[in-house]
Amino acid sequence: MKKIKSILIANRGEIAIRISETAKKMGIKTYGIKTPKEPGAYYLQFMDEIIDFTEAISDIPEFLDIDRIIYSIKEFNIDAVHPGYGYLAENPYFAQKCIDEKITFIGPSPDSIYKLGNKTIAKQLASRHNIPLLEGSDGNIKNTKHAKLLAQKIGYPVILKAASGGGGRGMRIVESEDSIEKMFRMAQNESEKAFADPSVFMEKYVRNPRHIEFQILADHHGNIIHLGERECSIQRKHQKLIEEAPSIALNDELREKMGESAINIARASNYRNAGTVEFLLDESGNFYFMEMNTRIQVEHPVTEMVTGLDLIEWQIRIAQEEKLTIKQKDVKIEGWAIECRINAEDVQSGFSPFLGTVEKISITNGKNCRFDTGVAEGSNVTSNFDSMLAKLICYGETREKAISNSLSALSKLQIQGIKTTIPFCKAVLNHPKFIKGDISTSFIVKDMKQLFHQEQDEEMIAAFWAALNYNVQLDIEDETYVDYEKGKNMTPWLMNKRLKSL
Amino acid sequence: MMFSKSKKNKQKFIACTGNNKKYEFVNPKELSIKQGKENLPVEIIQDKQGFVYIVWKKKKYQVDVIEKNQNQYEIMVNGVSYPISIESPFSYKRRKYLAENVEESKVEKIHAPMPGKIVEFLVEENQVVKEGETLLILEAMKMQNEIISNIHGKINKINFQAEDNVMKDDILIEVER
Repeated sequence: MKKIKSILIANRGEIAIRISETAKKMGIKTYGIKTPKEPGAYYLQFMDEIIDFTEAISDIPEFLDIDRIIYSIKEFNIDAVHPGYGYLAENPYFAQKCIDEKITFIGPSPDSIYKLGNKTIAKQLASRHNIPLLEGSDGNIKNTKHAKLLAQKIGYPVILKAASGGGGRGMRIVESEDSIEKMFRMAQNESEKAFADPSVFMEKYVRNPRHIEFQILADHHGNIIHLGERECSIQRKHQKLIEEAPSIALNDELREKMGESAINIARASNYRNAGTVEFLLDESGNFYFMEMNTRIQVEHPVTEMVTGLDLIEWQIRIAQEEKLTIKQKDVKIEGWAIECRINAEDVQSGFSPFLGTVEKISITNGKNCRFDTGVAEGSNVTSNFDSMLAKLICYGETREKAISNSLSALSKLQIQGIKTTIPFCKAVLNHPKFIKGDISTSFIVKDMKQLFHQEQDEEMIAAFWAALNYNVQLDIEDETYVDYEKGKNMTPWLMNKRLKSL
Repeated sequence: MMFSKSKKNKQKFIACTGNNKKYEFVNPKELSIKQGKENLPVEIIQDKQGFVYIVWKKKKYQVDVIEKNQNQYEIMVNGVSYPISIESPFSYKRRKYLAENVEESKVEKIHAPMPGKIVEFLVEENQVVKEGETLLILEAMKMQNEIISNIHGKINKINFQAEDNVMKDDILIEVER
């Protein structure tokens, strides 16, 4: 066993903070990276040591600059690196480089990352182990003619996906032959841009499926367990927005079957560390293997809440070659957890990115409620990074209680200066179909009439606030009104005082 | 002066929302909102962090002015924003008159829904396009988005080129009906 004494966290935002908290608990020293894009970032306050990357030395984004990161690890004599999610988390070259340099990479082997990261290879692996798959192109599509022929064979609708993709990028649903050529070109183009690999494959498209994924832990000694499922069906353009654990769609029998398939995939790829096996579940309870994510996921906290385990801790313990002390039969799923992603997006104008400064933020941490945030008062939201600011995770003994706890926490969560997905999350959690558990990945498009939650009198209150502000403004502008504070911002305190003196 | 300076008189404000609903408030400074025949009191509070709330009928609403320009406001209530313009009874009448007498514009301007980078234009100037046809691909936050035409018409003008960076609300293309 090689005990890890220090970790470089090669990431930013909430996940950097999340990793640092577990490291601190385990007595491990943390190093963070300071970038010129956000030198005053909130996550840096949580690091024991900060490595300064503010001087630009290449065009490669800081968290993707393998050579510079490796160099710094050697320079500061750091034992291990945790990549978080995104960036270098699923880069087999980086994982290999760590091995070459005798640095512990907290994650799976480069071989597993490569095989599972390439969806075509991953599917071949799954099919060899009798794991159900959707019918599709057995490999990448060569050209538009090939795409047309394949789609005819599989039957429309079909979906085109980037072979090196993830997170919904490079994906296109094609409803009929009219648009196959255009969509194929677009998928290739997007894939090339996002992943520097234009390879695209095709699959049968299942309507109204649920997205169910299984959390896996595998050690270096051949032990593999699953920690139950997460349902991530609330998605917009393949981006997850609300996740929960467990799923209302699974009974014990299906859970066991899917869990076993997940473990089989992990075993087939010689998997180690934490990973997630994603499935589509259709309306009749058939499931299909989609892909395996070889990293910690954004939505891992819901699993932590219902299992009582610290997944980051297990990632670190497995990386130092400890044996899993939990057997499959010890894994107990208790209660229900829901995660709401708080993104800097304007739900009222098509979820477009909302940039600006977090002027104020008020949070509620409670017994049933966890708030993993990457921002604090004064944080800037720029187009340099992903729009996710924070995650609100709430627990309840039942699904109903988890929903009501989430709603009450959301109503107390105030952010000023940035428009966020909070009103969207409220709208989902108040939706009768969501409450019933009747959801699918097309929920947002199909079932939601309004994408943001509104209380009855909110518009009228807005109108009143505008009228009152205007009224007070007019008084200030009135020349006959002696005002020594003219030009200052109106505060309610000031306004109240003025109103009283009238 | 559109508004009476006299404090004895009633000052009436008409608040028009983005979807053309109107709310009337008489002397809002008296801090009450009328419901039916009753005037129900409004309380304004500020918490330790500086968030401002309106309390009305025992319910608390977090309020914030996001933007203001003369009588045009953008107000946020519990995370949802509302464009509101405040009119006097006189200016309201004028506004209504103008709105009814403006000709429908022949040119439809296609705005960028979000900041991003143009990947490619799928149309050319003078080309005829159908409603729902893709005009261009805009990349924002690493996603490629199709910008579609909402009318049937002819491409009048293309204001950018592929690879250009655009801001939210920039006019990308003008389509003539």
